[in-house]
Amino acid sequence: MTWWRALVDAGAVPGRGSTRDEVEAGARADLVEENELQTHPIPEPRIPDPVSFLNGIERWSVVAYDGVVQVVNAYVAAAVRRRDATGGLHTTFERSRGFAIAPLDRMTPMVRQALEQSVADVESVPSELVEQPARYLEMIEATVRRARARMERELAEEALDDLAADEWLVIDGLLSRSPDVARHPRALGVIKSHGAQFLEGRGLERALTLPAGYRTSVFAVRGGHTRTEVYSWYLRLWPWEGNDLLYGLLRIEARAHPDTVARASALSAWLWTERAPLATPATRWDRLLYPLHHVEEYLKARAPRDLQQRASRMSRLPRLAS
Amino acid sequence: MTAIGKVVATELKPATPHQFHFWTATDTSVGIGAIVKVAEGGTGGTGDGGRVVYGVVTEGFAYSDLATPLHDVVGAEGDPTRADEAPTARQQIRYWTAAVLRQTPEEPLQPVPLGQVYVADDADVAQALRMDTFLFSATPTAIPVGLYTSAGRDSPVYLDADFLLGPEAAHLNISGVSGLATKTSAVEFLLASIFAHFPAHKGRVAAVCFNVKGPDLCFLDQPGDLSDEDRRRYERLEVPSEPFQRVRLYAPLKADGVNLNTLRTHPDLVGDVEPLTWGLQEVVDYAEVLLNRDDIDAKADAFIDFLRDRVLGRTFDDGFGTTHRVQTFADLDRFFRAVFDGLEITAGGRSDTWRTHHIATMRKVRNRLLNISTRCKGLVTDDGPSSDLPWNGFEDRTVYVIDIANVDPLGQDLVFARVVSRLREQLERRELGVDAVIVFVDELNKYAPGDGPETYVKKMLLDISERGRYLGLVLFGAEQFRSQVHRRVVGNAGTQVFGRMDMDELATPGYQVLTPATKSKLATLPIGELMIRHPHFTQPIFVRFPKPPVLRGRDGVERFPPAADVPFEDAVVRQLVRLDRRVRPNQVKDLIADREQDDVRRALAAVRRTRPDDVLAYFRKVLGARVEPEALLREHHAVPPLNPISDEPY
Ligand SMILES: Nc1ncnc2c1ncn2[C@@H]1O[C@H](COP(=O)(O)OP(=O)(O)OP(=O)(O)O)[C@@H](O)[C@H]1O
Ligand SMILES: [Mg+2]
Repeated sequence: MTWWRALVDAGAVPGRGSTRDEVEAGARADLVEENELQTHPIPEPRIPDPVSFLNGIERWSVVAYDGVVQVVNAYVAAAVRRRDATGGLHTTFERSRGFAIAPLDRMTPMVRQALEQSVADVESVPSELVEQPARYLEMIEATVRRARARMERELAEEALDDLAADEWLVIDGLLSRSPDVARHPRALGVIKSHGAQFLEGRGLERALTLPAGYRTSVFAVRGGHTRTEVYSWYLRLWPWEGNDLLYGLLRIEARAHPDTVARASALSAWLWTERAPLATPATRWDRLLYPLHHVEEYLKARAPRDLQQRASRMSRLPRLAS
Repeated sequence: MTAIGKVVATELKPATPHQFHFWTATDTSVGIGAIVKVAEGGTGGTGDGGRVVYGVVTEGFAYSDLATPLHDVVGAEGDPTRADEAPTARQQIRYWTAAVLRQTPEEPLQPVPLGQVYVADDADVAQALRMDTFLFSATPTAIPVGLYTSAGRDSPVYLDADFLLGPEAAHLNISGVSGLATKTSAVEFLLASIFAHFPAHKGRVAAVCFNVKGPDLCFLDQPGDLSDEDRRRYERLEVPSEPFQRVRLYAPLKADGVNLNTLRTHPDLVGDVEPLTWGLQEVVDYAEVLLNRDDIDAKADAFIDFLRDRVLGRTFDDGFGTTHRVQTFADLDRFFRAVFDGLEITAGGRSDTWRTHHIATMRKVRNRLLNISTRCKGLVTDDGPSSDLPWNGFEDRTVYVIDIANVDPLGQDLVFARVVSRLREQLERRELGVDAVIVFVDELNKYAPGDGPETYVKKMLLDISERGRYLGLVLFGAEQFRSQVHRRVVGNAGTQVFGRMDMDELATPGYQVLTPATKSKLATLPIGELMIRHPHFTQPIFVRFPKPPVLRGRDGVERFPPAADVPFEDAVVRQLVRLDRRVRPNQVKDLIADREQDDVRRALAAVRRTRPDDVLAYFRKVLGARVEPEALLREHHAVPPLNPISDEPY
C-alpha cells in the first residue's frame, strides 16, 4: 500500500499526473450570477444548428543564419468550418500566411537583398535581442503567435458578419481579443488553458473541484488593456477525480450581457455534448472539442510540407552529407 | 469529366504497376467491380501528356480518425444508444483498392501515377477490357455478353468470338448455386447473342444442347416474359429479344416404343419433337461407353472389335453348325445362345474359350449389351437406326436440343458419347454443315467429375476441351460447384462465368486469387448478374444480362402441360400424321387393329427411316409381311481413339 492511500482514506481525492498551464495575468472577477460562486448541474442539451468552428495554427523554424542573425520561416493559418445537418464540417472561411521573420537592419546587405527578393512577405523585427539567441527566439515565437491571433481575429470578424440568423460561432481560445467578437450575441470562446486565475478562496475551490456535468456561476472578466469585458464560467466535461484538477475543465467566454447569464446552463449543456467524439489522439483531448480539433487537423494537412513536422519530432542527430 | 477520386500511395501501401489505392467522397457511385480510369497530368481525365491507367475496384475500406474503438465507448459513456448522439461526425475515408486492367502506353510498364480518378465511360470500358482490338477491327468478332452497370454506367461488354469459339481459345464454363446463379439462363442468352453476332467471316454456327434437367430446355422456341428493362438491355446489346427461330428437338421414345420420353408432349408442341432411336449397330459402336463405366478390359474391347468386324451385319458361321446374320438385339441374343450352347455340347463344358475369347468375357459383353436394350428401351430399339440427328445437314444458327432428362444414366452416357463423337468426326471431315458447334452440357459435374472412375464420357469431354477449339467443337459447361468438375475440363475453358456462389465453394483453393470483397460480392450476387473472366480481360468483370428470350422450362410445362401417354394406336397415328398430314387416323387404326405391336413398331421405324412420299401406302406395304430390318449397309463407325486421362495434356 502506498502512503497516499492513507490520505485518500482520510478524505482526500486520488489524483494522477498534473497539467501545468503557462501562468498568465488574470484580473479578479466579479460574479454576475449569484453572490457566491455556485455549481449547477447542466440540463438536457439542445444543440444549435448550424454551428461554425474557428481554429488556427502556427509554425515556424529557423532556416538560415546570417552570422548570428537567425532568419525564420513562419506560417500561420486559420479556418472556419460549418457543421451541416449530417454532422460533417465544411470550410467556409480560410486564410493562411507564409512569411519570413528577420531583423532586416542587422543583416548583411547581400543576404538581406536575397531575402527581400525571394520572399514577398517579410516581417522585420527589432535587432536588440539578436545576440541573446534564446530570448530572440522567444520574441520570434511571440511574433508568430501575434500574427496568428490577428488572423484568427480577422477571420472571426468576417465569419460573424456572415453568420446565419441562428448560427453560432465557437472559437478556440479567448473571445475578448476583438471588441466586435466579444460583443457578438452568438459567439463563444472555449478556453482550455487555465494559467490565468480569476477566482479565490471558496469560489476557487468550488471551480477547481467542479464535478463532471456541472458549471459554475457566471462571472465577468476584464482582460488586459485591449480586451473587452466578457462573461465567463467553468464547465467540467470529464470527471477529474483520479486525474488532476484541470482535467476536462473548460472556461467559456460569451458576451457581457444578461442573456449570457440566462443561457449559461443551456449553452453548457450543448458544449457538454461536444465531448464526443473524442478528440484523440490529441494529448489534451479531455478539453479539446472534436470540431475544433478537426479544424486544426484540416489546417495541418494543408500546411506547407517543410513546416508540417514539429521540430521536437525531428532527429537531432548530425546529418550526413549525401 | 469530373474526378471522383484521387490515387494515394504511402510507403506501406504504394501504387504498383498492377495495383493502386484511391479515395473518394463518402457518398460515391464507386463499388466493388467498378471500372475506373486514372489520368496522369492533363485535365478532365484525358491524360494529355501522361499515362492513362484503367483498373477495376477489388476492395474497399472505410475508416475514421478514431484512434481506438475504446474512444468511441468512452465518448458514448458505454451506452450504445448514445453513440450516435455526437453532434459532429468524425472525419471518414472511403478508400479503395483497384487492380490494373490496362495501362497506356503499355511500355515501359510503370507504377500507376498518383493522378485523379474518373468513372469509366463506354469508350473507357472498351479500352480497359481490350475490346477495342476485336470491336473496331476490319473483321469484328465481338459477342455481347452483358452490360457493365457499376458506378451508374450501362456499357456493353463483349467477348471475342475467336477466344470463345476458337481457334485462339474456346469453351465456356459457368458455375454457381442452384436457382440464383442463372447458369442455364445465361447460356440461353449467350446462345441468342452468338447467333445474332457470330461474324459472317467465321461461317456457320449451331448449338447442341443436352437437356438433362426436367423441362429446362424444352421451350427454346417459345417466347418468355420479358420486362421493359430486359427489352432495353436487349436493345442496348443489339440482340433480338426473340426466342430461337430454328430449334430441333429430339427425345427418345418411352418403353412402349411409340410415346415420346419428354415433357414437351402438349398436343400443340409435340409435333415438333423428333424421336431419337438407335439400333444395335449404334450401340455396339459405342460399347466402350457401357464397359468403361466401371471397368476397363482389354479383352472385352478385343471381343467387341470381333463382333463389329466379323459378326454384325454379316453372314457368320459360329462353327457349331449355325449361320447367323446379326442385325438386332434379338439376333444378338440368339447368336450368344448358340455359341454358349455349342461350347457346352461339343466341348462338354471343358473348353472355356471360343476363337481366343474367354467365355467370361463374352458373357460380360453380352450382359452389358442386352442390359442396355432393356434399361434404355425406347432409345435403343431392335429395329436399327430409325431416327437420328442430321449429321450431314446441320443448319446455321439452329439449336438442336436432345432431351435425355428421363433417360437412364447409362443411356445418357451413350447419347453423349455418340452425339459428341459424331459431331467431332463430321467437323473433322468438314461435313457437318456448320463451321462451329457449341455443345451445352448442364450438370457437368455429373459427366466430368473431378474424382471417380475415368469414364469414356469424361475422357471425351476432356478431349473436346483440349482439342475442340481447332475443330470448332466448343463446350459450354455448367455446374453448381466448379471444384467438383475435372480440373482440366474447367481449366481449358477460355471463358469462365460465375453467378451467385456458395461461400464454402469460394473457400476452396480455386478462388484464392479473389479478394475478400470480390468473394463476398460473388456470395451475394443478385439474379441476373455474373462475374466473367475472359482472355482479354486481365481481371474478372461483373456484368448484368437480360432474362433469356425464351420460355422458362418451369413456365413451359405450366403453359403447355404435358399430355398423358396416349394409347398405342393413337401414338402410332400421331407419329404417322407428323410425317404426313394427309394420313387419316381411322385408316391407320383399322390397319393395325389386329397386328402384333412389335410388327407395328417395326413398320413405323421403317417409315421414319425411309420418309416415303406416301406415308400411309408405305406403312401398309411394310406392315404387310414381317418387316426385315434393313440390311446394314453403312460402314460402321469405330469409336475414335481417345488418349487416356493423364495430367499431361499431350
Ligand atoms: N437476367 C435475369 N434477370 C432476372 N432473372 C433472371 C435472369 N436470368 C434468369 N433469371 C431467373 O433466375 C432463375 C434461375 O435461373 P436458372 O434456372 O437459369 O438458374 P440455374 O443456375 O441454371 O439453376 P439450377 O442450378 O437449378 O439449374 C429463373 O427463375 C430465371 O427466370
Ligand atoms: Mg440450370
